[in-house]
Amino acid sequence: MFARNTKIVITLAAVAASISLSAIYKATAAEKYGFGRSLGEAEIARYDSDIHTNGKGLPSGSGNVELGRETFELQCALCHGENLEGVPQMGARSMHEGRRDIEKLPYASSLFDFIRRSMPLTDPGSLSSEETYGLVAYLLNETGVTDNPNLTLDAKSLADIKMPNRSNFIIDPASRFTAEDLEDK
Amino acid sequence: MKNIAKLKPNRRNFIKAGMATSAALLSSTSLAQETILEPSRGPGRTIMEMGYYGDRSEYATEARLKGNRGTGLVGGSLTPLQNMQGMITPSGLHFEVHHSGVPDIDPSEHKLIVHGLVGDEKVFTMEDLMRFPAKSHFHFLECAGNGMGEWMSPRGQNVQQTHGLTSCSQWTGVPLKIILNELGVRGDAKWILAEGDDGARMARSIPMWKAMDDAILAYAQNGEFLRPEQGFPLRLLVPGFEGNMNVKWLHRIEVSDTPWWTHHEVTEYADPRPDDKIRAFSFIMEGRSVITSPSAGMKLNGPGFYEISGLAWSGAGTVKQVQISTDKGDSWTDAQLEAPVLPKCHTRFRMPWTWNGQETTIMSRSTDDTGYTQPTYSEMYKLQGPIGMMHNNAIQNWHIAQDGEITNVRS
Ligand code: HEC
Repeated sequence: MFARNTKIVITLAAVAASISLSAIYKATAAEKYGFGRSLGEAEIARYDSDIHTNGKGLPSGSGNVELGRETFELQCALCHGENLEGVPQMGARSMHEGRRDIEKLPYASSLFDFIRRSMPLTDPGSLSSEETYGLVAYLLNETGVTDNPNLTLDAKSLADIKMPNRSNFIIDPASRFTAEDLEDK
Repeated sequence: MKNIAKLKPNRRNFIKAGMATSAALLSSTSLAQETILEPSRGPGRTIMEMGYYGDRSEYATEARLKGNRGTGLVGGSLTPLQNMQGMITPSGLHFEVHHSGVPDIDPSEHKLIVHGLVGDEKVFTMEDLMRFPAKSHFHFLECAGNGMGEWMSPRGQNVQQTHGLTSCSQWTGVPLKIILNELGVRGDAKWILAEGDDGARMARSIPMWKAMDDAILAYAQNGEFLRPEQGFPLRLLVPGFEGNMNVKWLHRIEVSDTPWWTHHEVTEYADPRPDDKIRAFSFIMEGRSVITSPSAGMKLNGPGFYEISGLAWSGAGTVKQVQISTDKGDSWTDAQLEAPVLPKCHTRFRMPWTWNGQETTIMSRSTDDTGYTQPTYSEMYKLQGPIGMMHNNAIQNWHIAQDGEITNVRS
């Protein structure tokens, strides 16, 4: 598929010529290259797994601390340790280490998003929404962000959590954004 | 060039002519009678024995150095900078860092989805992407954690261990702005999410201004398709930004008005400060340089001439000046920058030096075209806290002992 045959090269040249000519005039739909296929909502939804800080993207369902504890002991403690201390032989550092403190995260969405996309390391993508909500509830409780053994999280309650360290994040001015720019809307 | 035919083949002229012309003199008849020629090596390997993809000599053994934590799924390897010449890193020696191993992706099945705040939401095959006009650019790529082990004290045994998470290649692909303009970006769009198709679905938020500036959807490196560990078949290249943002195995771009604050960008790639604040979104790899020869692990073979040579680079622009001190930082001399000197690219610098055989410390410091000069460790400690070891671009000192032994020191 990577070999460009002559036919493609010729088409490309023709496209490029028409672009540079029409670029003099105002942009028109005809200027587009037109490559690629349009996507339907259902198709996008299959890949659109990320969670925004305001909770957009969070799935339906809910999970509590108890479910989180069970799931953690079964699927996570092997690497992260019973007390989140990290098992060096498994490559996991302490979740209290400083750089990776869960209680220092700016948003609970960062934690949900990461667990859902990347963990468990050897079988990412295998957790149900309920288990993921439960794990977030369990980890927030274990690290003292919340103090409620009966905590149950769902899309709304997770988005409502205010992380205590949020105000300590400052924005590098070289990013060309200010703290106000990045305020939640 | 000397006119060799005019030289009489007597002994005096032979000595005078020296090395450069000795080969030509040997072919003159009178000398050939006196000299027994070295026997020819004879025929070498046939073309049938040569590979379809060239291998290097069995005597060239420079190699990456692997860092492995636990399962090996989160890990990487470092470039042997002490062995590198010029400014380009061979693709097979480019550093790598992975968060869920190296996926094996069939390019005929690979897709890039672009959606969110755009007029048209589309999916592109590799064939689609390669039909767009392409661009090739030379750029360095540096992991934000390059030199993190050095933060508290000098630990690396050589420049591969201290600085091996930077490499430089020519990258080819479609400028991202062509794709975004093709789809039409909405006015309120300020960020994109770049997501990889590895097990970890590594994801980073990237400012729209960067996407519309010099970001490339790269499918080739140094003239051939990307290596698997560099993101085959497609990676994002955001020149000058920390390595982690140059998302490999790129399969999705979402356009949004706010950043995602993904786990990576708010934890290990953010910078804790001495005042307990955490600096986030520090994307640009600031100006840095290091002497690669002579460097730690090498030994000078007695007093005399040595060329000091190294690499300088800046994620903010072009290297303007590299200064070298061979007397522990007391005095500084400009090194020569070897062309091409390109923006956001490794620049090779060189300086002739005669070692007098005395114990000393050598170091380099770079300045880029924004006026930024590489800091010392004591300057850096004021900016970043005790665990702020990411984005370490401090000046590197190499100590030369009287016996010529070179080691990694702080001052
Ligand atoms: C096979 C070992 C392994 C298993 C099992 C595992 N993890 Fe991890 N986890 C890791 C490693 C290694 C990292 C560091 C990832 C990186 O640096 O990219 C990590 C990182 C994390 C992080 C980010 C904070 C940190 O400490 O780095 C969270 C949160 C996390 N894992 C949660 C989980 C949860 C929840 C489970 C169970 C569902 C789980 N992990 C199972 C190995 C594992």
